[in-house]
Amino acid sequence: MKAHKIFAWIAIAIGAIYFFVPLIGTFEFSLRMRRGVYSLDAYQSVFTDAQFRATFGFSMLMALVTIVVGMLLIVPTAYWVRLRLPQMRPVVEFITLLPLVIPAIVIVFGYLRLYNSSSWIPFTGSTQGTNVLLTFSYVTLALPYMYRSVDTAMRTIDVRTLTEAAEILGAKWPTIMFRCIFPNVMSGVLSGAFITFAIVMGEFTMAALLNRPAFGPYLQLVGANKAYEPSALAVIAFAITWLSMGLIQLVSRVGKLSPSRP
Amino acid sequence: MSFLVLESIKKSFGQTQVVKDFNMSIEKGEFVSFLGPSGCGKTTVLRMIAGFESPSDGAISINGRNQNALKTNQRNIGMVFQAYALFPNMNVFDNVAFGLKVAGKSKTEIETRVKEMLKLISLDHLADRYPYQMSGGQQQRVALARALAPKPQVLLLDEPLSALDAKIRVSLREEIREIQRQLGITTVFVTHDQEEALSISDRVVVMNAGRADQIGTPSEIYNRPTTRFVASFVGTLNIIEATVVDPAANTVKVGENTIRLRESIGALKGGDKLSIALRPEAGSLLENAKGDTSLTGQVISSHFLGSVIRTKLEVGGNQISFDMFNSPDAVLPQSGETLTLRFNAHDFLIIRD
Repeated sequence: MKAHKIFAWIAIAIGAIYFFVPLIGTFEFSLRMRRGVYSLDAYQSVFTDAQFRATFGFSMLMALVTIVVGMLLIVPTAYWVRLRLPQMRPVVEFITLLPLVIPAIVIVFGYLRLYNSSSWIPFTGSTQGTNVLLTFSYVTLALPYMYRSVDTAMRTIDVRTLTEAAEILGAKWPTIMFRCIFPNVMSGVLSGAFITFAIVMGEFTMAALLNRPAFGPYLQLVGANKAYEPSALAVIAFAITWLSMGLIQLVSRVGKLSPSRP
Repeated sequence: MSFLVLESIKKSFGQTQVVKDFNMSIEKGEFVSFLGPSGCGKTTVLRMIAGFESPSDGAISINGRNQNALKTNQRNIGMVFQAYALFPNMNVFDNVAFGLKVAGKSKTEIETRVKEMLKLISLDHLADRYPYQMSGGQQQRVALARALAPKPQVLLLDEPLSALDAKIRVSLREEIREIQRQLGITTVFVTHDQEEALSISDRVVVMNAGRADQIGTPSEIYNRPTTRFVASFVGTLNIIEATVVDPAANTVKVGENTIRLRESIGALKGGDKLSIALRPEAGSLLENAKGDTSLTGQVISSHFLGSVIRTKLEVGGNQISFDMFNSPDAVLPQSGETLTLRFNAHDFLIIRD
C-alpha cells in the first residue's frame, strides 16, 4: 500500500474516533442507569415522561407547520427567480444566507422588540401569536437550507420550457405550479423538509426566549437536573437527525433516478 | 384571407431590434419553415406567434382574429420544443392528456383522444412509460402527440429535431410531415438545417438579421435565390466575380472565359464587376456533357466525399467547387491539372444585392 494511502486511512481513523468515541461514550453512559448492569431505564424514563411527549409533540407540530409555510414561501420564490427575475438571484441568495450570519439570539431579540405585546403587531400578546412568531423564526432559520435544496432541484429540470409547455397547453399558474413544477422538485422539497425537521427538533434559542414548550428547552432542562436521561435524549436527538439525513439521501437518490433528460 | 397573418412584426429587446418589419401570410394547412442562422430572429417570431413574447409593433392574427391581446394559454396553439419538455412526473398517457384535462374534457373523451394520438405516433404500447424511460426520438413523438391532442389551430415546431441523431432526424421529419398532411394542420417549423427545411416544407422563409430575405417554395429558394445571403446560406454555392464585356449581349468574362448569361445584366457597363453564382452540382467534366457554356481552369484540390467527388478549380482568381457523382472507376482529378467544366448558361444566377 502506498504511503499516501496509509496517511489517508490514518486521517479517516482519527476523524472517526473523534466523532464516534463521544457518541459511543454517551450511548454507553445512557445504559448505566441501573447500577452494575446495562439497561434501557434512562430511555424508559424519558419516554414515560409526560413533558417529553408534550415537548416532542409540540416541536414536531411546529416542524411540520414550518415545512409547509417555508415551502409555500420558498418554492414560488425560487421558481420566479429562475423564470422571470434571474438578475435577483444574488440578492435572494444573500437574504437566504443571512440567518447563518446573524445569530439566532439577535434575530429573536429583534422579534421581541418588533412584535412584543405593546407593539403594532403584538404577536407575543397571545399563545397562538407566539406560536406563529416561532414558526416564522423557524422558517427564517431553515431558509438557507430550504432555499438551496429547492433551487438545486429546480436546476435539474428545465423550469422555463416546462412552464411554457404547460402554458401553451392552456394551463394557468396554479396548474403549472402544482402539477408541473412542484412534483418535479419534490426531491428538493423533501430534502429541505427533513433538514428543517432536524433543525426545528433541536432548536433551543428561539423557543426558550419566546417561552414555548419545545423539545430544545426540554433537553436543556433535563440536562440541568438529571444524570442519565440527558445522555438518552442526546442519543434520541442524534437518531432523529440521522434519520432525517438518511431520508434526504434516499429522496435525492430517487430524485436522481427519475428526472427526464433530453 | 390567409389563416395565419404576421403583419409588420417588430421586436426589440432593449436597444437591440431582433425582428425588423416581418410580414408573412400562411394558408390553412400549409407547412412553412423559418430557416436561418442562429440569432436571425426566427425563434423570436415563433415565440411571438405562441404568445411567449409580445411584438413591439405589428399584428398577429389567426383565422381573422387578432392574437396580440391574448395570453399564451388562450391561443389554442400546439408547440413542440427542442428539449421535448415532457413533464417528467407524468407518464406518456398523462403527458398527452395534459392539455385535454386542462381544457376540462370528459374522462372518456380524454381516453379516446389520447389513444388516437398515441396510435398516430405509433407509441400506443408505451402509454405507461415515463419520459426518462424513452429515447429522444420517442420523447419527441410524444411531445408531438401532446401538442396535437387538444386540436390546436396552429402547430409550432421549435427546432424539434436538433437534439436527435442524424438517422432519427430524417425518419422523424418525414413522420412529422406525414402527420401534418394527414391532419391538415397549419404548421410553422423553425430550423437552421436547410436540408430539413427544403425537404418537408410547402414554403421556406429564409431569415437574416431579423428580416425575411426570401419567401418561396423549396425549389425557388434553392434554384433562384434572390439575395447573396440566401444564395450562400442555402446549399453550397460558388460566388464568382466576373467582368462585364458587352451589356447588350449579356456577356461577361471570368479569367480567359467569356460567357453569355441568360439573365439580363441590366444597367451595368462594360468593365463593371458583377457577381454570378453557380451550384457545385451544375457542371460536368465529361467531354460529351450537355451544356452551352464552359469554364477552363486549374485543379486546386479534389476530395472523395462518399457519394460525390468535390473538386476545386481556379478560374480567373475565383475558386469554383464542383461535384461529380462517385463511380467505382472514377479517377480523382490531380492538382495542377487543367480541366474544362461544362454547364448551361441558365445555371448562372446574377447576385444583385
